[in-house]
Amino acid sequence: MDVSRDSSQSAPMTEPNPDPQANPQTGSGSTGPSLSVAGSAGRGAVKRSRGEGTVELKDLNAYYGSTHAVRGVDLHFASDKVTAIIGPSGCGKSTMVRCINRMHEEIDGARAEGEVQLDGLNLYDPRIDIVAVRRAVGMVFQKPNPFPTMSVFDNAVSGLRLSGASRGELDDRGREALVGAGLWEEVKDRLKAPGVSLSGGQQQRLCIARALAVEPEVLLMDEPCSALDPGATLRIEELIGELQQQVTIVIVTHNMQQAARVADTTVFMLDGELVEVGPTDKLFTAPDDDRTEHYVTGKFG
Amino acid sequence: MANETRTQYQEELERLEASALDGLNLVSSALQRTLEAVEHQDVELAQIVVADDDRIDGRYLEVHQSLITLLATQSPVATDLRLISALLHVLKSVERMGDQCVNICKVIPLTGNEPPADREMVALILGMGKQTRGLIGQAKRAFGERDIEMARDLVRQDDFVDDLNRECFRLALAIGDDADRREWAMTMLLAARAIERIADNGVDIGEQVAYVVTGLFREFEDASHPA
Repeated sequence: MDVSRDSSQSAPMTEPNPDPQANPQTGSGSTGPSLSVAGSAGRGAVKRSRGEGTVELKDLNAYYGSTHAVRGVDLHFASDKVTAIIGPSGCGKSTMVRCINRMHEEIDGARAEGEVQLDGLNLYDPRIDIVAVRRAVGMVFQKPNPFPTMSVFDNAVSGLRLSGASRGELDDRGREALVGAGLWEEVKDRLKAPGVSLSGGQQQRLCIARALAVEPEVLLMDEPCSALDPGATLRIEELIGELQQQVTIVIVTHNMQQAARVADTTVFMLDGELVEVGPTDKLFTAPDDDRTEHYVTGKFG
Repeated sequence: MANETRTQYQEELERLEASALDGLNLVSSALQRTLEAVEHQDVELAQIVVADDDRIDGRYLEVHQSLITLLATQSPVATDLRLISALLHVLKSVERMGDQCVNICKVIPLTGNEPPADREMVALILGMGKQTRGLIGQAKRAFGERDIEMARDLVRQDDFVDDLNRECFRLALAIGDDADRREWAMTMLLAARAIERIADNGVDIGEQVAYVVTGLFREFEDASHPA
């Protein structure tokens, strides 16, 4: 991977940040680096080959001021697998996930220690460009957040546009991303309509399309269905199953049945610590740790 | 509110376990009556056992439906899920055990009012029944106490029943040439076989105890690949 900071590419974030205080672009500078050369090449060259997108957390600690929110987590996220993170509110699951694309440090007073490796590259290496990190590691949030002033299509290609893609490339890859997010058939006749005119579930898939358009290696999903009705939730869950062939998926969810449905591996966290990680069916039928047992059976949390 | 619901759910699950396991008491009573009917050629008592099997079937239907409702409404996982899965098996076993008692009671009238009974063979069948009732009680206790060792010991109890069953077979072969006595012996072999199956169902319940506790299902003994 090319970790230099002087590439001519500009590297967009894959989502707009709802909190201006935490704009991840502010720390990056406008010259856009890339984690890999893939983003600067043509369409054929940016396809991720199988086996990439492995994430490794090594003794990861995260803090909010003096609050120790994530405590010495070692964790492996396998490529092309879906990993669900479950745990009660405040257990550090969202914080941990936000460390993977270095969003955590954007909050005042927040810091992270330890290593997050993507395909062996430490994302906390000082030479790494943070914006490139966020292109390689996309994120979808709890509430759909399309850019309010942009059309459906412009939302989908907003990340690409920042990277200086040509018109033809935008058309192709925008469509590809919308197809990939399972949205194309529903929006192909209203690509110029405002993104926010779509239904909630469609908006969330538009956000997924926006994240996919820059062809990330990892997609982080922080409770992506908590604002959606069961039908829209099902659609997203089906989409997760389809996308795992292309991208490593990490999903934070309060909905344990959702974790059970979509994830290959499930991680249970409590009080900032990793309690148990294992195959999803094992974790929900015969967990090893009593704390996991008590949580999944609803005895606390 | 959420905790309140969960408490009700736990209480309901406990109630359903007690109700399913109480099905084993019903089976034990049915088997006791069946043995009395065999011993005394009591056709009326046999008919009562047949009619009373509706209670066992009713228990099966009632608890089964309630467990399905819990699955649908509470999405149980981990130990709770294993328990519900095991209780569904227990219910099925209880229902089968009740049916085996009915099978025995249905053949009693076929042997006539004063059949040419062989005392030794009747004693063996009563012995099998007594041993099996003990096994049923032990299966219930092992489940209630989640005691794997007690559950495994059911295999040993079942071996005694199997031995007595083989002994019955030996006696039937040696019963002589009288056609009536041969017919009676063949009928009693069916009864012995039914009791032997009831004991096997008891061992099946023991295997479910191990599943609830460990999360792994293993047959205690593999009938198709005996050690």
